[in-house]
Amino acid sequence: MWRKLYQWLEERLGLSDLYKSLLDRPEPKGNWWNTLGSASLFLFLMQGLTGIFLTVYYTPSPDHAYDSIQYIMTGVRFGWLIRGIHHWGASLMVLVVFIHMLRVFVTASYKYPRELTWLVGVGLLLLTLGMGFTGYLLPWNQKSYWATTVGTAIAGTAPFIGEFIMKALRGGSDLSALTLSRFFAAHIWILPGLLAALIGVHLYLIIKHGESAFPDKDD
Amino acid sequence: MNEEQKKAVLAKYQRALQKGERFWPDSLYKDLIVSMGLFLLLILLATFVGIPNEPKADPSDSSYIPKPEWYFLFLFKFLALYGQIPLLGKIEWIATVLIPSAVILGMILLPFLDQNPYRHYTRRVLALTIMAVFVVSMITLTMMADYPTAVDEQGHLTLPTWLQMIGGLLIPGATYLTLLVLAALAKKLGAAARRAQIGVAAISSVLMFGLAIAVMLVSPRPVVAESEVADTLAEKFALGADLYSIYCTECHGADGEVTVITGVEGLEGREIVAINNPDLMYTNSDETLANIIAYGLPSLGMPPFGKAYGGELGPSEIEYIVTFMRYSWDDRAELPADAAISSIPELAPGEIPSYEVHIAALTKRYCLSCHRPGKENNNYLMTSYEEIIGMSDNGPAIVAGDPNSLLLLLIQGQEQTDKNGDPIRAMPPNKLMDPKYIEMWKLWVLNGMPKTAEDARTLSPTPSP
Ligand code: HEC
Ligand code: HEC
Ligand code: HEM
Repeated sequence: MWRKLYQWLEERLGLSDLYKSLLDRPEPKGNWWNTLGSASLFLFLMQGLTGIFLTVYYTPSPDHAYDSIQYIMTGVRFGWLIRGIHHWGASLMVLVVFIHMLRVFVTASYKYPRELTWLVGVGLLLLTLGMGFTGYLLPWNQKSYWATTVGTAIAGTAPFIGEFIMKALRGGSDLSALTLSRFFAAHIWILPGLLAALIGVHLYLIIKHGESAFPDKDD
Repeated sequence: MNEEQKKAVLAKYQRALQKGERFWPDSLYKDLIVSMGLFLLLILLATFVGIPNEPKADPSDSSYIPKPEWYFLFLFKFLALYGQIPLLGKIEWIATVLIPSAVILGMILLPFLDQNPYRHYTRRVLALTIMAVFVVSMITLTMMADYPTAVDEQGHLTLPTWLQMIGGLLIPGATYLTLLVLAALAKKLGAAARRAQIGVAAISSVLMFGLAIAVMLVSPRPVVAESEVADTLAEKFALGADLYSIYCTECHGADGEVTVITGVEGLEGREIVAINNPDLMYTNSDETLANIIAYGLPSLGMPPFGKAYGGELGPSEIEYIVTFMRYSWDDRAELPADAAISSIPELAPGEIPSYEVHIAALTKRYCLSCHRPGKENNNYLMTSYEEIIGMSDNGPAIVAGDPNSLLLLLIQGQEQTDKNGDPIRAMPPNKLMDPKYIEMWKLWVLNGMPKTAEDARTLSPTPSP
């Protein structure tokens, strides 16, 4: 019975080809530092999962954001755990992505033929930081409000276009309901979308070129 | 990299694959172990460390010292230090836009800038030393981030700020330059240049760490006046009760019972609705109550309390007061059992009250609202032990052991006259305290006004008259 089902699927999906090209790939001798990329991926998925749960209760308006977070922490069963994982996961993801980048740098894995993998990686690092920046505002507490005020003001110091960038980020000259909805949209749709797309390209390139070998004396 | 080198790289990689492993299961199981470890770590952090509670955003409170996420702290500190550089420091966008953009551009272009075909670390001394110094400077800037970038009255940098400037800007800057110069000299000097690069990077890293630690030791830690944040209803209620007694007792009395204001400048004799009546609670939602407190009722004589309107309270604090009012006076709301209703400790038989345990709580609840700076009170402040036993316009209000101390007479409802012959009302002017609290005051004064519970215990009790 299972055999038949497998056969049927195999004929239409090409499972064994998938297995060959995705899982049964040859790799150079492994190294624990090479787990950091997949750890970044794991944290990204965790953030996505816990984030989806949080949006169920979170309300992106200045009047209700703070209370909805309070409610998640005290009123929703296991809300504190979900938010706790999302909160610490964000910090951990920044840390892990950064150390992943350092390991790629130290092993010089960005050299031929993996230049594009690195390039996409820089985008991933910036997007991850962007996720941290936009997510920080969402609880709408004193800390997040004033940190975002200062953070967007920094963007405003750019010559010529600074004013425009700051207003675009804030949705006006001051932080307001509009800022919160913009950051919310960026945090749950725009940045994760870009992040997921770039991770796709990143992974494609890694499978295409294979994991680089740990450099030896002749490299 | 030319075609030949490319071919060599690919051929070498094929050989590495021959000697290598399979993605599944050899690599994947390591990935899974690490991811599971992180998952466990996250659950532990969420459970045992949790997330610190913060007060609600208050756009009017610009005195709040902003603090970004920890991974942006190094950038914050860098900007603060950069701003202290004479002349150049005034051109903000160099630090906020130009330098970060240059760093990002450098990262993007790295595979193309780094023309060195080698990968082993012994042949990449320049790249590795620059990155090492960069990471060390990020870490040390983060370590110093909590310490202020201070200047003294003349506008000169203080000693700790100088140390920050040297460790945070000067040393890393000088090190990058030296490393690049040494790299340019590498052709002439050969291996000596490489050794020098490693030495320079190592020495400046040690110096940067040393300076960061020195800054942490010599700077005064900034006292962050954190307003208290409540997690549970009981905590909200307790904080609300404290805030109410400081800000509202003056006019509305300790229990919201006042109907004729007495003892308040400008509102003497004003008749008001007792705010503890249930009807008021039924007809006002929490939101309207919060608004009344924030905007005040200026035409009727109640001042605004919201920071945005010139008062002293933030939104979270106002919310706590509303919680206190709701659960105290609305008979439909029932307080959870763990909330302490009375914050004033009872006396055990034979126990002598002390300032820290009993009197401080009593003054906070019944007197502080008027007897704090900026209020009319014959200059008799009651915010500390020293002030309570100290002098007012009419000499000392209490004398240890004297049952006819001014304060004791007043709280028993006996009006007095001051040295100009003007009357001093009974205290609190609107309604006397509960007799058992008056008794507590008497007992305290007669037994010599002990400050701590320890002092009180060493006294042998004298029966109150
Ligand atoms: C300087 C005196 C003063 C202080 C201090 C004060 N109030 Fe009032 N309050 C008034 C006056 C006067 C009114 C008008 C009452 C009236 O006309 O019946 C009022 C009215 C109110 C009302 C509305 C009553 C109604 O009829 O709707 C509430 C609620 C209230 N105060 C709460 C507070 C709270 C809570 C505090 C502390 C944060 C506070 N007040 C501090 C003077 C004061
Ligand atoms: C509603 C405001 C208010 C409250 C509450 C209040 N006082 Fe007073 N107090 C005053 C004012 C106003 C004076 C100045 C005399 C006067 O105008 O009656 C004063 C004067 C005094 C004096 C005399 C100081 C001097 O040397 O002239 C003492 C003692 C005193 N208060 C004790 C207390 C104590 C103890 C409490 C708490 C149990 C208390 N007061 C609560 C408003 C208040
Ligand atoms: C969301 C963030 C990221 C994810 C999910 C991710 C994921 C991965 C994964 C799964 C791998 C293969 C396993 C490994 O080598 O660890 C990898 C490799 C790689 N990553 Fe990332 N990465 C991220 C960020 C970055 C960043 C910030 C950079 C650099 C700027 C980068 C550059 C590279 C390069 C060059 C490789 C190839 C390494 C080699 O073949 O040895 N990545 N990444």
